Amino acid sequence: MSMKALYPMVAIARNTFRETVRDRVLYAFVVFAFILTLAGILLGSISVGQDLRILEDLGLATIAFIGGIIGIFVGTSLVHKEVERRTIYLIVTKPLSRWQFVTGKYIGLALCLLVVSAAMGGFLLGVVALLNPDHAVNPLMVEAVALIYLELLFVIAVATFFSTFATPLMSVVFTLSVWFIGHFALSLRALGRLSSDAATSRFFDFLYWLMPDLASITKIRGDLMYGRQPEMELLVFLCSYVCAYIVLLLSMATVITERREFP
Amino acid sequence: MTSSVIETNQLTKDHFSHILRKRFRAVDGLTLKVETNETYGLLGLNGAGKTTTLKLLVGLLRPTAGTVSVLGHRAGDRRALGRIGFLPENPYFYSYLTGGEFLDFAAELFGLPVKERRERSRALLKMVSMADSENVPLRKCSKGMLQRLGIAQALINDPDVLFLDEPMSGLDPIGRRDVRLIMMELKAQGKTVFFNSHLLPDVNEICDRVGVLHRGRLAGEESVSAISSGGSYQDLEEYFLTTVNQAESERQALVVSK
Repeated sequence: MSMKALYPMVAIARNTFRETVRDRVLYAFVVFAFILTLAGILLGSISVGQDLRILEDLGLATIAFIGGIIGIFVGTSLVHKEVERRTIYLIVTKPLSRWQFVTGKYIGLALCLLVVSAAMGGFLLGVVALLNPDHAVNPLMVEAVALIYLELLFVIAVATFFSTFATPLMSVVFTLSVWFIGHFALSLRALGRLSSDAATSRFFDFLYWLMPDLASITKIRGDLMYGRQPEMELLVFLCSYVCAYIVLLLSMATVITERREFP
Repeated sequence: MTSSVIETNQLTKDHFSHILRKRFRAVDGLTLKVETNETYGLLGLNGAGKTTTLKLLVGLLRPTAGTVSVLGHRAGDRRALGRIGFLPENPYFYSYLTGGEFLDFAAELFGLPVKERRERSRALLKMVSMADSENVPLRKCSKGMLQRLGIAQALINDPDVLFLDEPMSGLDPIGRRDVRLIMMELKAQGKTVFFNSHLLPDVNEICDRVGVLHRGRLAGEESVSAISSGGSYQDLEEYFLTTVNQAESERQALVVSK
């Protein structure tokens, strides 16, 4: 694949990035995240010697939550908005493949979330450093933010997939469901084992294998905050695992977009 | 390889209603050919199937039956898309971009390098009289300005064939004159233009040949010079109305006989 073939994808990605960062709602969310992070100072002050811990935990949860909300609300309208506003006419009549279009949209949003996550993470580190100048920048916290971003990459892939065929409202419901179920994947398996019916058990087992195990990411994030560095093999496995889901979701989104007409 | 730039053969397109899946035939057995450097105007009443035909030609829709080729390739093929320009009806743009950014975006979709993108964007903004509005956000542009930008983006890749859906729509008399002049200039450059319009005086001035679409069928096709020579018809308007009325009478006679 020549570099020239990447131009259309870069154009779509840059345009999506521009669209997202020029939307004022994004800044409202980021400001809200900053306020939530600062609320950690208040909560920490009423704890017994755990003020920094609470601030860090609340800050990371805020990054995951606000990042997820931005990802879901922007991601679910990513392709749908182009169709609804008919700007898609100007894109699909140009010589680019549908995979370039879908991947470009995804990369644009992923870059925007990278900037947002970095800003929120930087703010959290800054607040921690201000409160306790002796507390050096915790590299494990940077890793924890990176893990949140990895999860967000999965969430926006799900949102992009649904946005190719469902309305934004339905896409939000579907994506939130997958995100939520992903955090309780092990419970699905346990639920199946509780049933005496073999078919029900198999069904929940199938759901367990189908859904991503996002709880593992949260667990490793928790370990990091307790100062336990996970093994490199585990991190590589997690990245590959999420990447495989992203490739699968974007491939399905491409196939759906490929088959679509634009009346 | 076909000799015609645009060729359709028994092109048919059915639309289906959402819930009951009721079939509606928008284009019915359309066969036409457009040659190189020809300016072809597709005329018809509202709902005649003009926009659907154009969407089939640029690959936004797929035919239910029949074939459609552009520059020797199946419509929608990337080899054809790389050599065409398309202006949709009432073009919708990204309101958060400026005119310059939008044209740069359109050029990048064709894989043009940065230097060429900038040069072409500036030249086209000048061509459509929008050089002063390069940095104006599209949400602040009037309908006429957006139409001009739509034409500019359709020309960004220096296309061999142009598909324009109602290019004069929303333009004031000066804008219409400018677009007419642009289209004449494009013809002088050897480009093929296929467009839909309701504005018969403009069609009369620009087109080499016109086709009249009625209820999805091609009711008539004639060269503008033959119409203007005053043989069977006084002018294009009379040709258009006669053709439409005749097609409608034939259709009703067919319905009664069934």
